[in-house]
Amino acid sequence: MKSLFHINIRTPLLALSLIVTSALVAKAQDSRIQMGNLDYLAAKASQTVDVNLDERLMRLASKVFSDTDADEREVKKVIAGLKGIYVKSFEFDADGQYAAADVESIRSQLRGPGWTRLVNVTSKKEGILEVYLLFNGEQVGGLAVLHTDDRELTVVNIVGPVDLDKLAKLEGQFGVPELGIEQQKSKTKKDEQ
Amino acid sequence: MKTLGLKVFIVVLVLASASVVRAGNDDFNSVVRMIEKFYGVKHQGIPFLARTGMNVATTAARIKGGDAKRIAEAGSIKLAVFEDQNFDGDFTKFRASLNEALNDTWMPLIQTLSGKGEEQVYIFLRNAGDKYNVLVITIEQRDATVVQVTLSQKNLALLLKDPEGTGKAITQEATINDQE
Repeated sequence: MKSLFHINIRTPLLALSLIVTSALVAKAQDSRIQMGNLDYLAAKASQTVDVNLDERLMRLASKVFSDTDADEREVKKVIAGLKGIYVKSFEFDADGQYAAADVESIRSQLRGPGWTRLVNVTSKKEGILEVYLLFNGEQVGGLAVLHTDDRELTVVNIVGPVDLDKLAKLEGQFGVPELGIEQQKSKTKKDEQ
Repeated sequence: MKTLGLKVFIVVLVLASASVVRAGNDDFNSVVRMIEKFYGVKHQGIPFLARTGMNVATTAARIKGGDAKRIAEAGSIKLAVFEDQNFDGDFTKFRASLNEALNDTWMPLIQTLSGKGEEQVYIFLRNAGDKYNVLVITIEQRDATVVQVTLSQKNLALLLKDPEGTGKAITQEATINDQE
């Protein structure tokens, strides 16, 4: 009887905790952009970079950076609370190697609920740079950068609480490419004035 | 009865952890075999220096002007070298098989492919107690290397900050030949 009682009580509790856990995981993954459909472009690209710093690695990262070293302390602050950094970048030798549908597969996700386009800069020389933020209420839950030009397609996705200042600090680190976010930000500000 | 149950539990636990360790240790050899099978190549003997972490450290430090610090933990380097062979093959298929094979025990950190597969670099990471194992696979048109090293927390920070640069440095450090 005792074991039956345990089963009776434990089973719903276990089921409930499983449901709660999956709901939490689903919520945390809201700002994760699916980029797998771009993988086929690697066969056409002259340079492909694929960075996957998932939640396990981000937890590891926050552990291994020291509090005593000023640089590392700064990095630690920047990555605090982040749940992932994902980058896919393709460079091509010729124009037109990727399809509009490839870009659309990313943009369509960024039109979903919560996402707001913060930066949209088009330049003949440097192509189109778009920066999106995902808001969970008043909190930022993630960020996505889409950079396209005739011979390049780059998607950066940062999952977790992040802002543009943080992104600028991450450029050139953790596999995040130099995107010139700082310059684009100041350009956007000047244009608005 | 209770003691017997506890003993059985401990035995199961020990066996389970032993099999996990063995599976993890075999990954380096599995990757080497996978490259051999996929590209129809054969790896060559391990260069003299890669057998001892200390020698590699000394050499690396000397080449870099004496101040350079070793990245890999002493004696932790596993190295397989493929020299002057043909690495023709669908690199996208190779990449998919590699990711599938290592997915359970390793975390893919960064993968770069240049010149339509002329150079492929894959860096994977996993926990090893209070340290970390890093697996760096580099495949070029005629050569390839598979390097597995153990990193301290401090050097893991280096790798996470600059995965590409540190990955290259790990391979360089493992393949430096004192006799050159």
